[in-house]
Amino acid sequence: MYGRPAFVATFIFALSAGSLVAADAPTVDFERQIMGLLGKTGCASGSCHGSFQGKGNLRLSLFGYEPERDFQAIARESQGRRVDLQRPDTSLLLLKATGQVEHGGGKRFDRNSWQYQMFRDWISQGATWEKGSGTLTQLRVSPAEIAFRKPGESVGVTVVGTFANGRSDDLTPLCDMRVNDDAVAQIASARVQAVRSGDTTLVVSYRGQVVPVHVLVPAILPTGTVFPKKLPEANFIDTHVFAKLKRLNMPPAPRSDDYEFLRRVTIDTIGTLPTPDEIRAFVADRRADKRARKIEELLAHPMHAAVWATKFSDITGNNTDAMENPQATKSRRSQMWHDWLRKRLASNMPYDQMIHDILCATSRDGRTGEEYIDAIKVIDEKLMKGFVPEYADKKTLDLFWRRQTPVGIEVWGEKAAAAFLGIRLECAQCHKHPFDRWTQVDYRAFANTFSQVVTGVGPDIKKAADAINTERKGTSPNNNNVILVREVYLGRPVVNARRGLAGTLPHPDTGAPLNPQALGGPELKPEAGKDLREALFAWMRDKSNPFFAKSLVNRIWGHYLGAGIVDPVDDFSLANAPSNPALLDALAAEFLKSNFDFRHMERLVLNSNTYQLSSKSNSANRLDERNNSHAMIRPMMAEVVVDVLSAATGVPEKFGNDAPPDSRAIEVGSSRLNGTVSFAMRIFGRPPRTTACDCERSMEPALPQKLFLMADPGLQSKIMDPNNRLKALLKTQDNDSKALEELFLATVSRLPTESETKAFSVYRSKASDRRTAFVDTMWALVNTTEFIFNH
Amino acid sequence: MSRTDCEGFHRRDFLRIGTSAGLMGLSLPELLRLEAAAASKAPANKSRKANSVIMVWLSGGPATIDMWDLKPEAPEGIRGEFKPAATNVPGISISQHMPKMAKHADKITIVRSLHHTIPAHGPATTFMTTGNKPIPSIQYPAMGSLCSKLLETPTGVPAYVSFSDLRGGTAGASGFLGTAHNPFIVEGNAAANAKTAAAANLRVRGIQLPTGFTLDQLSNRDQLLQEFDSTFRKLDRSDDLMDGNDAFHKQALEILRSDKTKQAFDLTKEKKETREGYGLDGFGQGALAARRLVEAGVRFVTISLGGWDTHQKTFESHANKLQPTLDRTLSMLISDLAERGMLENTIVYCAGEFGRTPKVNKNVGRDHWARSMSAVLAGGGFKAGHVHGSTDAQGMAPAKDPVRPDDISASIFQNLGIDPKLEIPSGNGRPITLFREGAVIDSIIA
Repeated sequence: MYGRPAFVATFIFALSAGSLVAADAPTVDFERQIMGLLGKTGCASGSCHGSFQGKGNLRLSLFGYEPERDFQAIARESQGRRVDLQRPDTSLLLLKATGQVEHGGGKRFDRNSWQYQMFRDWISQGATWEKGSGTLTQLRVSPAEIAFRKPGESVGVTVVGTFANGRSDDLTPLCDMRVNDDAVAQIASARVQAVRSGDTTLVVSYRGQVVPVHVLVPAILPTGTVFPKKLPEANFIDTHVFAKLKRLNMPPAPRSDDYEFLRRVTIDTIGTLPTPDEIRAFVADRRADKRARKIEELLAHPMHAAVWATKFSDITGNNTDAMENPQATKSRRSQMWHDWLRKRLASNMPYDQMIHDILCATSRDGRTGEEYIDAIKVIDEKLMKGFVPEYADKKTLDLFWRRQTPVGIEVWGEKAAAAFLGIRLECAQCHKHPFDRWTQVDYRAFANTFSQVVTGVGPDIKKAADAINTERKGTSPNNNNVILVREVYLGRPVVNARRGLAGTLPHPDTGAPLNPQALGGPELKPEAGKDLREALFAWMRDKSNPFFAKSLVNRIWGHYLGAGIVDPVDDFSLANAPSNPALLDALAAEFLKSNFDFRHMERLVLNSNTYQLSSKSNSANRLDERNNSHAMIRPMMAEVVVDVLSAATGVPEKFGNDAPPDSRAIEVGSSRLNGTVSFAMRIFGRPPRTTACDCERSMEPALPQKLFLMADPGLQSKIMDPNNRLKALLKTQDNDSKALEELFLATVSRLPTESETKAFSVYRSKASDRRTAFVDTMWALVNTTEFIFNH
Repeated sequence: MSRTDCEGFHRRDFLRIGTSAGLMGLSLPELLRLEAAAASKAPANKSRKANSVIMVWLSGGPATIDMWDLKPEAPEGIRGEFKPAATNVPGISISQHMPKMAKHADKITIVRSLHHTIPAHGPATTFMTTGNKPIPSIQYPAMGSLCSKLLETPTGVPAYVSFSDLRGGTAGASGFLGTAHNPFIVEGNAAANAKTAAAANLRVRGIQLPTGFTLDQLSNRDQLLQEFDSTFRKLDRSDDLMDGNDAFHKQALEILRSDKTKQAFDLTKEKKETREGYGLDGFGQGALAARRLVEAGVRFVTISLGGWDTHQKTFESHANKLQPTLDRTLSMLISDLAERGMLENTIVYCAGEFGRTPKVNKNVGRDHWARSMSAVLAGGGFKAGHVHGSTDAQGMAPAKDPVRPDDISASIFQNLGIDPKLEIPSGNGRPITLFREGAVIDSIIA
């Protein structure tokens, strides 16, 4: 029998309740059991036979998703050698999997294992396939939530599948189970064991179906301490965060002090450091609502919109290299894009409207062809010479759709899903998403929503555009050096009975036409004069949309708290459960209620006590990274690093022709920079914005960053610059301690401690001169962990 | 942070590996074992023949039809102005303007059937330098970045050094491997003073102290830094980020204190004849420095020579400047490596982003042409005195044994002992085969 006592019992039970039972061996079902086993034993994984090309002439569907293909492959192909009905033990399938004959994938199981026995029984019973026998209607995991009382405890997990034919089977041994954070809990042989306090998700999957199970391990508080009875709540955010912390028995950190709060909120909202004067004024301010006032002031600061314009430049793919020719105009176009976003973010345009004007952008914005041509003449002439700030006044962001080299509609599908819905779809391009619901059909039908968008020249202005283009080409020997008249417009929906709507991708299996469809939503019907994107947008902004509002509030949360409620922020999927679903729901509901008021949501987050907690942790919450028990220590965006270094040293960065004069890094649109600043940006992970993934921005510390801070010639020259911050400081301040205070405020945004002051004076006494001592101090401060992270 | 990818590999595991491999003493075998365990793949390739690669990049797209694959029988307007010249290998001829290379043809493989389909500088450079045809959804890492991730490098020495930013840093970069695997960029002018052959002032940005910043000063400053850092650190804020940060701090100091790289750039240690043999211009001295960097343990060095985008007066440029420069430096690099016994485990790969139109245009130039081109490989397990493939009579397309850029990359990695089919996770956890479409060209491997 199948060698696993617990399993055998339930297995036999399930069979006796279901179909005919052979006297000696239970009937093995191809879809329910063999398919599951192919996944569980690793045969159908992407690096083995589940890969696109298969392995060693055997190709299986990834994760056992397509029974028909797999049955063909196993029972029919290879002249039927894979299964030998007469002598099951000599079936190639078993010889290979047990390593008795050469197998690239090595040995998968033993001859005396239950897996072997199950495969063998299926073969000896005739290796048949009952189509649809494994169509799953429900996959139930018990317990549905695992709440441990303390580390060390363990609990068994069982999985029961209900199938369309009415059967219910225990599928536990056929499921793949893994725990997202194995530092919190571990799984072995279908038993979950609590390791340390925290929470995570157990992901159970069976043939491409995924069930997440929340696992929670409360902390054990030191004797004499209890979770506080009453925690002050500023708004509903605190209610949800503290409720979760109570379940985890993790008391939150104390409130941040004024220095800590001001530094954090300034970096987060306007991407730079507070000045020493600002710090002193804020600390001296005695008004009870001074933090709320400061938050208002910062949210209205011109740099605030620049921070988010940079973030949305990443999200929407403001990739300078992909812009239209001529070369010299590319970084200017990127600046136009950044300016356009910034203007809307500064005026707090309702979020849905801003996304509408990106997603449904056209070049003409309803103008006639003639009017467009007239307008473009003026704009292009300016663009050849320099930046075009007027572009920000254009209604829609047609640059989003404009590329020197056109890309396929599937790229727009992936981009729209990641940017506006927080969903990473790209897995589904080639196979069903392994940890989410998306299929290739979903993928293609969604991409088809963008099939009408054309970049080129509309037929009505073709003649006029050709004339201008010919004239412009005449002015330059190289066609790459002139701007060609182009536009983003809506193609007419031509529907062909056999191929469907023009420009769409067909059904991946049947090749039949595939109608455009919102992701997990309704089919969208192409109509003359109607933009499919408008229909898609209407679905997105609808109150009932499960992704649109959540995606944005999650991005806001991720920006201000250091990690999203769903994290990574663009990875909403079944297997990646939110850390606090009630909070996410409440934020999304509030966002909808406020009519997509971006600023309102920021205000709520920043004024919450959760945001204002200290980064000082306690023994119960020190390892917490997803429940906001204390402020997270986190890296800064590359642009912010550059600006913060400029602020600390008092030497601004220069961007040459890549940006308007006196720009700060956070105001720069171009993703391609020249000069030494490009080196810093690269090292601190500024993304080139080529792919539709937030993962492109690298926010992990790396060795080159340390080397940069210690020894980069560009940064060293700022530290040594005779005209930097130290010049004025040393001239106006004779007192070393006072000067040291000022330098601490300008870098780590706090006053030096007594021991730091002492360490400095020892250093000062040994240094050759006063300036050298302060230059070295500036170097040291810039190199502290405290300086380079936000906390 | 942690989640699983398409393969069921925990992203967290990769983060751990990503921030530690080659940096915290995790060796390649360990890394491979971890990856192999996760993906249950066949054991890593054991065919290591080379330790390092020097890529000689001909930026702009060289007219290889006038260099390595001349077509004297083709009609006028195609065959060009140059005559083929015999080499020291019977049956192999190359351009008359590369007489020095002709004397070292017994050390190289000329691949004459290389081709791809992208006649634009940017994406073609990406294809050639990454070994993967660029697609919008993935940023492939450059081969040098892959070496940085997958090969062990001695302490204090960078894995991947580039003498120039390829295409403003958009090519030759680490792609989805993250910033830690970007190339270290050499700064300063390699060109030596022609009269005195005085030391060129070269340094790798980011791994050496700038001029005027002494090791003593670094020690002093670091002491002060420790004092200031302890205030923040002594609060109980332990987490991965901070621990990683501490480890990087120690390593950064080690690197800055090591003078292996600095020594490698001290070209005055070389004989005058050697320096002159390489050529005293930036390209020549860069090639010499590249050899010295490889001696120090660097795994991948890119040196670059521009000017190959010859839309006009191609023959004039090639005859007067481009070919003589390349001929001098490439022949010296290969023969110098050979004399030192380094060629057998150092791969030299000389190519540009594409070839150029067999048809000469009205400006006596040749335009972009990706459908046929030649590349040169030497050392590190590649055949010597060998020609692979051929093009048709007019040089328009491969005639025999066509290969693509990813086939060459796969072959290079095979010789480096890295399975070209190894899977590594992209930034979002998707498993990416190193060279998905690339197949090892068995017939060019010695």
